[in-house]
Amino acid sequence: MDAKLVNPFIDAFMAVMPQIGFPTPKRTKVYLQDKNAISAGVVVMVGFTKQMRGNVVYNMDEDTAKFIASTMMMGMPVSEFDAMAQSAICELSNMLSANSATNLTQMGLEVDISTPNLTIGQGFSIKISEGQYLTIEMDLGGHKVDIAIAVDRNN
Amino acid sequence: MEKVKVMIVDDSKVSRTILANHLSRTNFEVVAMAKDASDALLLYKEHNPDIVTMDMNLPDSDGIECSRRIRAIDPEAKIVMISAMRDTNLVARGKEVGIGAFLQKPVSTNEIIDALMTLCQKKVSQVAMLRESYAKIFVHSLRQGIFEMLGVRVDPTLELYEKKYLDVNGIAVIIGLTGTPNGRAITYMSKDTMKNYSAKMLGTDDLTEDEIQDAVEEAANIIIGHGVSNVNDVFKDKELRITPPGTICGAGIRVASPKLTTFKLTASTDFGDICVNVGFAEGE
Repeated sequence: MDAKLVNPFIDAFMAVMPQIGFPTPKRTKVYLQDKNAISAGVVVMVGFTKQMRGNVVYNMDEDTAKFIASTMMMGMPVSEFDAMAQSAICELSNMLSANSATNLTQMGLEVDISTPNLTIGQGFSIKISEGQYLTIEMDLGGHKVDIAIAVDRNN
Repeated sequence: MEKVKVMIVDDSKVSRTILANHLSRTNFEVVAMAKDASDALLLYKEHNPDIVTMDMNLPDSDGIECSRRIRAIDPEAKIVMISAMRDTNLVARGKEVGIGAFLQKPVSTNEIIDALMTLCQKKVSQVAMLRESYAKIFVHSLRQGIFEMLGVRVDPTLELYEKKYLDVNGIAVIIGLTGTPNGRAITYMSKDTMKNYSAKMLGTDDLTEDEIQDAVEEAANIIIGHGVSNVNDVFKDKELRITPPGTICGAGIRVASPKLTTFKLTASTDFGDICVNVGFAEGE
């Protein structure tokens, strides 16, 4: 995987999160992985086509998902990860992907993104690549979001 | 449902008759047939059809020019071009004058109906349009895929899926669809079915968990890949693409699909149900 393709996703996260109420997102770890990822509770997968193909997965536990949804909705209490909270997380994934797509365009790569696929459940395995892929651990005020990235240029 | 009025523009009587025959058993009603552009304009004004099928070669003009003139009378006119030749140049010029879909002769009944349904969305609901135009194409690719891979004949069912969650206990292969409409297709089956399926597919049951997953993933790629190719074949102006698969495996998995209209396709076999849930973004 081309490491240059990862920055547009990190940049998007750093740019979008402050706009929705997380002033200081931090990148805590970056590592290569070849085993399947394991769901922490809430998993959103977004696919990319055209000049770059692949999948990006946002993986977080349900508490974090509720915390993000609540922050996005101006602090409205979110006790259940219900339809509204799910919508908020999908919307966030859309914003992150669209922002990443814009960053990729600036690198000369035209891409299209699929609708986000939201999956709930703990401990299921997630396979997005035949080989190695990159995982970035992000910290949002004590809450952890993993971004798993398996993308490649489409020649 | 109210009949949808169609006008056929084609210089060949044979072509007009074939097309009229295709439509005779459907909800579309042929209200006028024009043999050239001037006829087409007169008949359009007289009958005000919901949709026009347009040939490229006309004795007094061509299909693009004729479409341009019709759209000058009625900017909302819905036109599908049906011509013997089709290239990107023709499609580009046709789109410029507002032609909504492009089909190549000979057209099958399904092709023409799919194209007409898509174009006359004001007459049919969004759900009916998605069902007729897209979901049904995936029913065909599911049937074909299973036959090609396993030699088993199935008759998949199709239903609008209105439950809040799609529950998966086993495996789900998620493939994103980009273009118009945007969406995703999830091929899924139970733990037992995935074992039975991969054993039948590969001719052995001495398989690792990874090999079983790979077999299902490959099946999903084939089924959804064929479906998307068929959509692109029917709607010549579409460029639907598929993302690489993402595969999830486990128990008690719930897939939520806010803001998607989804359909469930079920192929029942001796070794279990192979299901596809295909969903499209609303507002497309």
